[in-house]
Amino acid sequence: MLAYVAQQDTSTTALFCRHCGDPCDRPVRDGDEVFCCTGCRSVHALLMQEGLDRYYACERPPGVSQRDAALREPDRFAALDDPAAAAPFLEFDDGRIARARIPVPALHCASCVWLLERLWKLQPGVVSSEVDLLRGIVRVTFRPRETTLRAIAERMAALGYEPNLAVERPTGGVPAARRRLYRQIGVAGFAFGNIMLFSIPRYVNGAPLEEGFQRLFDLLNLGFALPVLLFSASDWFRGAWQTLRTRHVTLEFPVALGLTVIFARSVADIALGTGEGFMDSFSGLVFFLLIGRLFQQKTFERMAFDRTYRSFFPLAVRVERDGTCNVVPIERIGAGDVMLVRPHELVPADAVLLDGPGAIDYAFVTGESVPVAVSAGDTVHAGGRVAGHTLRLRALGPASHSRLASLWANPILQAPKTTALANLNDRFGLWFTVCAVAIAVAGAIWWWPDLGMSARVATAVLIIACPCALTMAAPVTLGTALGQLGGRGLFARHPGVVLDLSRIDTIAFDKTGTLTTLSAPALVEHGGLPAADWRLVRAAAAHSVHPISRALAQSGDASGVVSDLVETPGRGLSAVVDGSRVRIGTAEFTGVAADDRPGVTHVSVDGRAGWVRVTVPTRDGIDETVRALSREHDVHLVSGDHDAEAARWQPLFGRGMAFRRTPAGKVEFVRGLQARGRRVLMVGDGLNDAGALAAADVGIAASDATACVVPACDAVIAGDRLRELPAYLRYARRARSVIVLLFVLSMVYNAVALGIALTGALTPLAAAVLMPISSIGTIGGAAGAMRWSARRLLPS
Amino acid sequence: MSVIVLLIVAGSLVAGGFLAAFLWAVESGQFDDTHTPALRVLLDDAVERHSSIGSEGAVHDHTRR
Repeated sequence: MLAYVAQQDTSTTALFCRHCGDPCDRPVRDGDEVFCCTGCRSVHALLMQEGLDRYYACERPPGVSQRDAALREPDRFAALDDPAAAAPFLEFDDGRIARARIPVPALHCASCVWLLERLWKLQPGVVSSEVDLLRGIVRVTFRPRETTLRAIAERMAALGYEPNLAVERPTGGVPAARRRLYRQIGVAGFAFGNIMLFSIPRYVNGAPLEEGFQRLFDLLNLGFALPVLLFSASDWFRGAWQTLRTRHVTLEFPVALGLTVIFARSVADIALGTGEGFMDSFSGLVFFLLIGRLFQQKTFERMAFDRTYRSFFPLAVRVERDGTCNVVPIERIGAGDVMLVRPHELVPADAVLLDGPGAIDYAFVTGESVPVAVSAGDTVHAGGRVAGHTLRLRALGPASHSRLASLWANPILQAPKTTALANLNDRFGLWFTVCAVAIAVAGAIWWWPDLGMSARVATAVLIIACPCALTMAAPVTLGTALGQLGGRGLFARHPGVVLDLSRIDTIAFDKTGTLTTLSAPALVEHGGLPAADWRLVRAAAAHSVHPISRALAQSGDASGVVSDLVETPGRGLSAVVDGSRVRIGTAEFTGVAADDRPGVTHVSVDGRAGWVRVTVPTRDGIDETVRALSREHDVHLVSGDHDAEAARWQPLFGRGMAFRRTPAGKVEFVRGLQARGRRVLMVGDGLNDAGALAAADVGIAASDATACVVPACDAVIAGDRLRELPAYLRYARRARSVIVLLFVLSMVYNAVALGIALTGALTPLAAAVLMPISSIGTIGGAAGAMRWSARRLLPS
Repeated sequence: MSVIVLLIVAGSLVAGGFLAAFLWAVESGQFDDTHTPALRVLLDDAVERHSSIGSEGAVHDHTRR
C-alpha cells in the first residue's frame, strides 16, 4: 500500500500519517507506510495483524494521533479495579454478564464505529459493543469473569480511543427525555390525523352535518384531543406555571394561554352545541410545536461541546499508604492522605505541600496562568494544576467532584452573561402577553352586550395570537446556524452565542497562541553560552508554561534536576539546575548586559551571559483575516508579551495595541472597551486570557485541539479555521436578519389574522388553515434560510 | 349509514395499532440513536465473518437489536 501523501496549500508535498492523517514532522516508517509517531505505527500494526484493515477504508485516515500517548500514565485506569470507581460506568452487572457505558470523546467517523464495534475481536471477554457517535459513548457488554472494565478501557486507549472517565457519568436522562418527546409527538400526530378525519366532512359540507353524526364526530374529536392536552402539551403548561411562580414571563406563557383558551373554547362550543370546536387546530398546533422542539434538541446534541466540559477533573490520584503507592479514586481521599500529584494534574483537594518547592497554576480558579511558587508547608488549593515536577501533598480534607465542580462557579469564569437571546424572549414574552390580552378585552368590550359574540371574539383573539411562530423563529434559526457553524469548526456553547456574535462591533485578539500558533514548531535561536549550559537552561524552562519557555524547552534535551524554582511574572524565571544557578528573563533580572535586539530574552548560567530569541510563527492567512475584520470592526491586539513585535502588527492594528498586559490587565482592557459602549469579541487561547474571554460579550478560544475546552469561553474555534472568522461573523449577522424578518412577517400575519378574529369571522376552518401555515412556514423558512446562507457565506 | 360507525371503529383500531407500534418502537430504544446506524452499514464486509468463526468456537453475540 502506498503512503498517504497529499498536496498542501503551499504546494509543497508533505508526508501525512497513514494512521491519523496528521502531517509528519519526523516520519516513522514501517515498510511503505509512513507514520507521524511510533504510537500510530503500533496501532496500525495491531489492526493489520487482526485483519481489521477495513478500518482504513475511509478517504481520510481515521485514526487518532498517538503523539501524546507516551506522556500518559500507563496505570491511569487502575482505579477502575475499584468497584466504587467502576460503578458509575456500569449499567448492569450480574456477575456473569455486565454492560458499561464508556465515554470516548475521540469518536468521529464511520471507521471509529466499525472498529469499536469489533472490540470483541481484540479483547477476549467482550461480548459486543455498540457506539453512539453523537453522544460519544461506547456501550460494551462483557463477561466480568473473563475481562475487566479496566482491561477494556486500556484496550480502547491502546487503539487510540482514550476513554474519558472524568466526564461526569453519562446519564440515562437524555434518552429518557428524548423518548418522552417522541411519545408526545406520536400521540399528538395520531390525534391530529384522526381529528382531521372527523373535521373535514364538516368543512367539505359547508354546514353542520346531520345532527347525530355531528354530535358523534365532535365527541370523538374531544376524546382524541384529551390525551394531547394532558400528555403532549403538558410541558408548556408546566413551563407557564414556572414563569408565573418566578414572575418572569417568557414567550412560553402566551403559548400555554393560547392552548388553554383554544381547548376551553372548543369544549364550550361542543357542550353548548354552538359549533364544532377547534380541536383540529389544537392538536395540529401541539404536533408542530413538538416537531420544532425535537428539531431544537437534535441541534443541541450535535454540539460535542458539553461532553468534554468536565474533562479537566481527575478521576483518581496516587496516594502513599503504608509505604506503598496506590491509585485511589478521589472520592476516597480523606484528611491526612499523602497524594502524589504529577505535572498537569489538578490537585483534587485542599492540601499542604510536603516537599518544596513547587509551582501551581491556578488558571482554572483565577484565570491567571502564571504558576505560583509554593514551598513546603504552604497550603495548596483544590483546582490548582501542578506545573513543573510532581508534588507530594497531604490532603486537608476529602475531595469530591462536586467540590471541584464548584470551581466553575468562580465569579470570574461564571459571571452570568445576559445573552441577547434571553433578552429577546423575556422582553417579547411580557409585551406579547399584555398586547394579546388587551386586544382580547377590547374586542370583548366592542361586542358588548352581545355576550356570546364577546366571548367568541375574545377567545378567537387569544387563539390566533398564540405566538407559536415567534417561539420557533429564534431557536430554529440559531439552532440551524449553530449546527452549520459546528460543522465548519466553530463550536458555540449555546444558540444565543450566534445572536451575540451578530452584535459585535469590536474585536480584541490575544497574540500568542491566537495570531501566532503553537502547533507549528517555533524558531529558537540562541547564543553566548556553551552547548552544555543550554541543557540546564532548557531544564529550567521546562517548568514554566510561558510560551517562550515551552518553545525553548522543546528545542532539545531538557533533562536535569531542578530545585529552588521561582518564577516572577513579567520578570523571569530562576532555578538551580544540577547545581548551577539559571536565570531566564529580562536583562535586569538575569544580571547580564542588556541586548537591544528585538525579541531577545536574556539568560544567565552561574553568571555566564547568553541570549535566546524565540520566533513563534504566525498563523497562515491571519493578516488578511484581521484586515478584512478591520473594515467592519474595530480591531485590537492585547498581549502579555513585550512590545518587541509591535512593528510587525502595527500595520494591522494601528494604535489599538496593548502589550505587557497581565491576565487581569486584559480583563481591564476588555472592560474599558465595554465602558465605551462597545460590544467586544475576545479571541484568545484561553491560557492567560480566560478572564478576558469571560468578561467579553463573546469569548472565543482558538484551539489547536478542539477536545481541549476552556471553561470561560462561549465558543471554541479550530485554530486553522480562525482565518474564516469574517465569514462566521457575516453568517451570524445573517442569522439575526433572518430572525428579524421572521418576526416581522409573523407579526403582519398575526395582525391580519387578528382582524379576522375581531370581526368574529374566525371559523374553525380558518383557524385550521391559518395556524399550521405560520408554524410550518417559520420552521421551514428559518432552517432553509440558514442552510442556504451557510452555503453562500461560509467556506465548506 | 350506520356502516360509517363500523368504519370509524375499525379505522380507529388500525390507527391505534400503529400508535401502539410506534410507542413500542420508542420504548425499545429504536429512536435513541438515529445517527450511528447510518454509518454502521458503510464499512461492513466479509472479512470479519470468516475470522469470527475461527475464534476458538467462542460464542459471540453480535446481533443487534
